[in-house]
Amino acid sequence: MMANLFSIFDPSSMLTLPLNWLAVFVGLFALPWGFWISTNRAAKFFTLVSDQLHSEFKTLVGVGGAQGHTLIFISLFLFILFNNFFGLAPYVFTASSHLAMTLALAFPLWLAFILYGWLSHTTHMLAHLVPLGTPPVLMPFMVLIETVSNVIRPGTLAVRLAANMIAGHLLLVLLGNQGPSLSSSLLSILLVTQILLLTLESAVAIIQSYVFAVLATLYSSEVV
Amino acid sequence: MLSRIALKPVRSAIQPIRMTQTSATSNAASAATTESPERDLVNFPRPVRQEYPGKVRMGFIPDEWFQFFYSKTGVTGPYTFGLGLATYLCSKEIYIMEHEFYTGLSIAIMGIYAVKKLGPATAKFLDAEVAKSDAEMNAGRDMAIAEAKARIAAEKIEQDRALGMKMLFDAKRENVALQLEAAYREQLVKVFSETKKRLDYQVEVQNVQRNLEQRHVVDWVLRSVRAAVTPEQEKATLSQCIANIKSLAQQNTVRI
Repeated sequence: MMANLFSIFDPSSMLTLPLNWLAVFVGLFALPWGFWISTNRAAKFFTLVSDQLHSEFKTLVGVGGAQGHTLIFISLFLFILFNNFFGLAPYVFTASSHLAMTLALAFPLWLAFILYGWLSHTTHMLAHLVPLGTPPVLMPFMVLIETVSNVIRPGTLAVRLAANMIAGHLLLVLLGNQGPSLSSSLLSILLVTQILLLTLESAVAIIQSYVFAVLATLYSSEVV
Repeated sequence: MLSRIALKPVRSAIQPIRMTQTSATSNAASAATTESPERDLVNFPRPVRQEYPGKVRMGFIPDEWFQFFYSKTGVTGPYTFGLGLATYLCSKEIYIMEHEFYTGLSIAIMGIYAVKKLGPATAKFLDAEVAKSDAEMNAGRDMAIAEAKARIAAEKIEQDRALGMKMLFDAKRENVALQLEAAYREQLVKVFSETKKRLDYQVEVQNVQRNLEQRHVVDWVLRSVRAAVTPEQEKATLSQCIANIKSLAQQNTVRI
């Protein structure tokens, strides 16, 4: 029984301990086992995705990146992807819909980039505050705007992910709640709508994790 | 001899094949040579890689569970159990069909449709990718095997060529024998003709000698006869001859 609409996002399980947070580890079950050198189909798919992401992130970072620069962002992508995707399944807690988790991912990353960039390459970072081709009149405002956009980055990263997840789940729950009270003929319409919504939500899950990882890569490439 | 030269590089190429063999392919070989005596292979056998996923019914229930219950409940046992359990849970409202149920139903429909429609194509594509990476890993070994096979074929060609050389030698030997035979016969003919020439000469010499002797004797006889003829005999002979001619003439005129 739902106390309110947002009780699906409640991390406390039946023992009132926040055991639902253990759903964060559900992605580990989807990782392929590396016992054999010759992979099976799922592991090959996993490898293909990782390789594709690696080549894309490497392009984004450009020549400034060191070896293994893309590893943390691919791991980030997969972690958020599994959390988003498994959250769509019934009775699985969506950890990435909580600001606690998304902020915990975004904030340390951003802080690390800012601290490293401003302490090691101060001039470089100051130069980035004014984009190329700005008319001289607008430069003071551009500095302010760029500073604000820099400061707001962890917020946007975290809130974007959390808000997308919350919105998607809320829609599904609202639609699903009408199920018990419907007749069988209307139930088919409900199921069709839910299927469409779930397709959208799967796409959003993949895209949001990709966006998070790409933005983190871009922020890192700015600093390097 | 040619085969011995050709074998030399093949023998040295055997080593790369051994080094790049994977444990899966050289199980027997490595087990025979480098197995530790303390290793217990009976209770802890080497794990074998599965080729295909385990058999499942309805997409996710292992077939072994159905086999396990077959002896007690028959074919329909597990299905009856599942249906009965679901009915019990739903009717007693232990399991309430609220929003999560309809989400789960939608996901199940989506999943079944996706697996049925896109499953085979995806499986084929991924199998091709796996085969590609396996081929990459085995490339060195396969290349070495192909190279060795090519060398064996080339060696066979060389052996056939050597046999052909043997035939050539036989033909040459026969040719030389023929030439010798011809020379021998030529010399034989020469010997014969030379001997005949000498014998003919001797025969001619004898003939000439006999002719000379005959002529000499005839001349001597004639001379002596001529010498023996006296003038009276000559006259008598001549008159006789005239008388004979006259008689003959008389005879001939009568006849005419």
